[in-house]
Formats: sequence, C-alpha cells, structure tokens
Amino acid sequence: MTARILVVDDDVALAEMISIVLRGEGYTPVQAFDGPAALAHLADSTPDLILLDVMLPGLDGIEVCARIRETSGVPIIMLTAKGDTTDVVRGLESGADDYVIKPFNPKELVARIKTRLRPSIDGAQQVITICDVTIDVPAHEVRRGEQRISLTPLEFDLLLALALKPQQVFTREMLLEQVWGYHYKADTRLVNVHVQRLRAKVEIDADAPTIVQTVRGVGYRAGAVVGQALTES
Amino acid sequence: MGAAWRSFVSAAKAPVGLWRTSLLTRTVVLTVALSGIGVTIIGGYMSLTIADNLFSSRTNQVLSETAWAASTAQSLFDNSVSAAGTIDVETANTAAQTAIRSAQSSPGGSGFAILRTPGQITAQTMTSSSSAGLDLSVVSTALRSQVVSQPGALHYQSITLEGTGQSRPGIVASASLQVPSAGAYELYLIYDLADVQSTLTAIQQTLIAGSLALVLTIGIVTFFVVRLAIGPVRRAAQTAERLAQGFLEERLAESGQDVIAVLARSFNKMADSLQTQIVRLANLSQVQQRFVSDVSHELRTPLTTIRLAGDVLYSQRKSFNAENARTVELLITQIERFEIMLTDLLEMSRYDAGAVALEVDEVNLVGLVEDCMDQLGALAEQKGSSLVLEVRGGYGDSEVDQRRIRRVVLNFLGNAIDHGEGKPIVTFIDSNEEAVAIAVRDWGLGMSSDEVERVFDRFWRADPSRQRTTGGTGLGLAIAQEDAIAHGGRIEVWSEVGQGTCFMLVVPRNPLSTWRESPLAMPPESESLAGILESGVVGKGDSR
Repeated sequence: MTARILVVDDDVALAEMISIVLRGEGYTPVQAFDGPAALAHLADSTPDLILLDVMLPGLDGIEVCARIRETSGVPIIMLTAKGDTTDVVRGLESGADDYVIKPFNPKELVARIKTRLRPSIDGAQQVITICDVTIDVPAHEVRRGEQRISLTPLEFDLLLALALKPQQVFTREMLLEQVWGYHYKADTRLVNVHVQRLRAKVEIDADAPTIVQTVRGVGYRAGAVVGQALTES
Repeated sequence: MGAAWRSFVSAAKAPVGLWRTSLLTRTVVLTVALSGIGVTIIGGYMSLTIADNLFSSRTNQVLSETAWAASTAQSLFDNSVSAAGTIDVETANTAAQTAIRSAQSSPGGSGFAILRTPGQITAQTMTSSSSAGLDLSVVSTALRSQVVSQPGALHYQSITLEGTGQSRPGIVASASLQVPSAGAYELYLIYDLADVQSTLTAIQQTLIAGSLALVLTIGIVTFFVVRLAIGPVRRAAQTAERLAQGFLEERLAESGQDVIAVLARSFNKMADSLQTQIVRLANLSQVQQRFVSDVSHELRTPLTTIRLAGDVLYSQRKSFNAENARTVELLITQIERFEIMLTDLLEMSRYDAGAVALEVDEVNLVGLVEDCMDQLGALAEQKGSSLVLEVRGGYGDSEVDQRRIRRVVLNFLGNAIDHGEGKPIVTFIDSNEEAVAIAVRDWGLGMSSDEVERVFDRFWRADPSRQRTTGGTGLGLAIAQEDAIAHGGRIEVWSEVGQGTCFMLVVPRNPLSTWRESPLAMPPESESLAGILESGVVGKGDSR
C-alpha cells in the first residue's frame, strides 16, 4: 500500500502540481485547500504525512499544525514562503517536523518526504533505558515506569538516536544528518526546537534536563544509562 | 607616590567634575564667592570707620581733659605765689596733683606725670612726680621734645601699655606748665584705651559673624531659588532623554502662565509632532515590510508551481524532440534565474525597509571562506582560474551572520571568476584586535575609476557585453554592501585597468564593537604568487 500524503495549500494550482509530482513518485496524494478541511481529512483519510502551507486563509498553518499535534504525531512538513526566522521557528515550535522553503524543486521535496516516511533507525537493542525512561524500540513506545510518554515519530527517532550511543556527544549537524536526513549544512534550529519539544515531554524538569543533556559548544547527548539493554535483536 | 598623586588628582577632579556638570553647584559657589568678597569689603570699611571714630572721639575727650587739667594746675601754681612773691612749690605741687587727679575723670585714665623740662636753671626746683605704678618709658622723647618746642599747644601720642600678660592700646597727652620760680614743667596724662579696644573687638566680631551668616543665607537662598528655577529645566531634560530612548508618550506637566509653562507647552508640542512623525514612519515601514512579505508569498507560490512543472517536464525531456527538449532546458534555467532575482530583490527591499536583523554566530571565517571556495571551485576551473587562499590571521572565531558573510564572499569570488580572465584569484584573510578583513583579488581586466564609483549601484554592470557565468542579478554588490554595513563594517574596492580588481570586506569582530583600521592594506600583495605575477607569466591555463 502506498503512503498517503495530505497536501494542504490554498493555491489550487500548486496543490495539484505537488500532487502530480507525488503521484509520479508513487505516493497517494490527498488535497485540502484550507485548515478545517485539512483537519477533517486527518480524521477521515489518516494520512501518513502532511505537507502544510504556512499561510492559509482563516486558520493559518501554524495553528493547524498545533491542532493536529493535539491528537496525532503524523509527520508534518511545512511549506513556507519565508526564510524569516520567526515564521520558521514558530512553525517548528507548533510541532512541524521539517520545513521546505518555496520555491523548492521536486527532488528536494521528495527527499524530505522520504526521510520522514522511512522506518526509524534500526536499533541493535529492543529495549533501552536512559535515566528513568525506557524506550521500547519495536513497540515505538517510551515509558517512565508504567506511564506511557507519547512522542511523535520524529521525537522518538531523535531520542533513540541519542540513546543508542549514550557515550557519544552528537553535534547538531550529526543529528540533522541522522534524524532529518540532511547531508549538507542545514538549519540547526530544527535540532534546537525539537530538542526543546522532546525535553518538554520526557524530562521531569525541562529546565534541568537529565535525559537529553546539552554539551556546551558541541551539541547533545543522552543521560547516563541506568540499566543496560536486555535483549539483543 | 604615583598612586598618591593619582588619588590626589582624582580627589581634585571630583569637585571639578561637579563644577562642570552641575549648574546648581556652579551658581551657588559663584554667588557665595562674589557676595563673600562684597561683604568682606563692606565689613572692612565699616570696621575701619568705626575704629577711627571711636579713637578720635576718645582722643578729643582726652585732649579736653588734658587742657582742663593743665589749666587747673597752672592756675593753682599761679595762685600759690604769696604776696611776698615766694612760693612753696612742693605744697603747690601736691595741690596741683590732687587737682589733676580729679580732672582726669574719664574711664581709662591710668595716671599722670609732671616732669621738669630738662636743661634749665631756676631759683628753685620742684620735684618731678608721677602717679604710682606708672611706667614713664611710655612717654617718648619725641613727644617730650614736641612739648618743649611748642609749649602752648596740646600734644598726644598713641602708645602701647605693657600690662599683665598682654599689651593694651593707650594714649598719652601732654601740656606744658610754668611753675613760678621753678621754670617749665611738662604735664603728661596717660590713658588706657582697653575699653575702646574691647568695644571695637566686639563690634568687629559681630561684623564678622554677621557677614558669615549673611553669605551663608545668600548661599542657601541661591540654592533654593536656582533649584526652583532649574527644576523645570531639569525635568524637561529628563523628559527629552526619555523621549530619545523611545518612550514617545513622555510629556511635561503644563501649569501656570510663566515662562516655564511656555517651555513645557512648546516642548510637549514638539514631542507631539515628533511622535506623530515617528509613528507615521513606523507605520510606513510596517506597511512596507508587510508588502515585502506578501509579495514574497504571492510570487513564490506561483513560482513554485512553475518550477515543479518545469522540473517534471525536464525529467521527461528525453521523450521530446530536440526543439522541445531545448525549450524545456531554457525554461528551467530562466526559472532559476528568476528565482535568484526574486530572492535578491526581496533581500534588497528588506534592507530598504530596515527590516533586517542579524543572526549572529561564532564563526570561523577561514573555514567559511574555504567552504565558499569549494563551492565555486568547479566554476573557477571551468574558467581556468585557480583559487588561492592566503591566511594571515583570523583563525579565531568572529561574531557574524554566517549566511550574509557567506553571500558577500561568494559574490566577491563570483565577480573575480567572471572578470578574472582565467588568471589566479587570491583570497586574503587577516585580522587585528578589532576587525577581520577578507579580500579577493584578481588580475583580470580591472575597471576605470568611473566604473569603480558605480560598482555598488543597483543593476549596474561593468561591461554589458560580457558573458555572465555566475548569473548575477546586478544586485549582488549592493546587497553585499548592505550586509557589510549591517555588521558595522564596510567594503573597499581597488581596481585599475589592466591590473585587476580587489574587493575587501572589513567587519568588526562582533557587530557591536568599533574598529578603526583595516587589517589588510589595499590592494594586498600576494606572497604565494608574488614571483609568478610580477614576471607576468601567469595566463589562462597556467593555474595549479
């Protein structure tokens, strides 16, 4: 079954053109032309990924993104016409996984989509523990004790990437390559914003992080492993 | 010692600073000093006049007493002559002394003396006498000779009476006596002026205390009056300062009809008009920014569609006939060019709207330049130019907006490749304490001075007939210059026809600091290529 991609853009021509490109790549595109329609489609057609324009009439893209995140961790890639810092950061903070700046070329767009749809990093272990948090890799689950922590696939990938090599300090560039699939210099704000979002969910005190620690001037690393992995896969 | 001197200097500077900065201090100090001088002069004059009057009135009293005593004594002596013409001088002397004592009645009369004028031969001699305890040395010989030479007149002299522990002013007055048959005698009356002196001292003390109090009062009054007067001025200054800081709502209180109220009203009027102007300009700027952002979105969305469509067609060009395939190729390249132009235009209008904020990072500029050179390496090779890097400094990190500096360097390199005639292109980096400089030098055609002047003009091209490779939009250097200015730096150009061109970017180590001198001279001389270039051997294809 091919992946379903919801294309949300008020520009009909662009939405249709993107759909043509996606169909050419073997995806099944679904179009929505405004925010409420997008939210309706989210419930009806359960897309595997959403391409979301930032500037939508009425309910704007950032708001739509935040609404989607209330119920779903589906990967969201923002389509933005602006390189302006504030809009990109606001988009990411509202829960977008990645963004593409207009005008983009088809290759760029498809590469972004592929990264977000590929299965997450293969862990050698099935269950990993960092500090008091347990990551169940096959089940895509993160728990603190009995309590389940709900993460988006991207946040899960980010946490897993760090947790798989607990001794290693990851630079932002390394994380961009491993989690976002960028092989060239990209926007490190992606990492910063998502680390903040991840911390808000997994840390007991997000201001004094123990699970995702900052290594000043270098990047991030996972907190100390309390219990080592149980099973080899 | 140096430290002591410094602390002295700084201690001396504090009041000097206060003097220079505080109008209040200056006014009060000046008033006190001037009124002090005035009061001193007036007080001194008063004191002198009073002393003079006291002394002369006392002198007159003394002289009249002396005259009275002398005439009483003289008449006593004259009446002591018996009918037989004899005289008991000693009896007369005793009687005269009693009479003189009672005549010397005014306060301070401390004694008298009757002295025989020396150097006369007479029938009898009357004993010279004086009151007990009187030190006759106070009667000077000068006075005595005066009395002798002018026997009819009264004489007096100011003297100092040596008393117990302290000396007191005094006066000695004299008259001459003629004792029948005993010859000429001199009468001296000595007066102690201590009471006059103490009156004078009391008056002077009162004057001094009064003057001090007066000056102090003047100082205090001045302080309050000046404060009252400059208070509104100071408030106006504070308000102006707040306005300057951007608090446009700040106003002065307007009350009364005096000049201060007029000042406040004019000030507020000025602030009102300033505020409206600023708000209007801010609104304009917001409208402009809004417009830029809207245009950005409105143009980019169709452009994205066109681009996607073009790319889809391009990927299928193999199935088209030759002409259609070429058409699609042209379409694609022109869409790219259009895109770059749009980006540059939007960037330029963002600068025009003042809507540019730097995203400052710690950046190693050597690394950044190396990246740029890698990026354009292939293009340079295509044109036959070798790219050389000469690093003389700038190894440390600088605080710059990476994206903008990269754009500037890419622009320099792109221009150098376009106009470098296939000769080597050297990029220099150097730094000093304040600034970092990146210069790109080519040995191509160069430009005339007229052309150099226009090089930052928008859409200006050095040679319209020349083929462009890097797809410049004509805005590159204009944007680069804005980028440099946004960093607090600048771009310098050197160019000579036939000698080549050098563009240099100088930025401070962080955007907030200042710098004076560029780390690199213009144009920088290449060390690595010096020999080759001077011999003129370097030509197309001669690169590494």
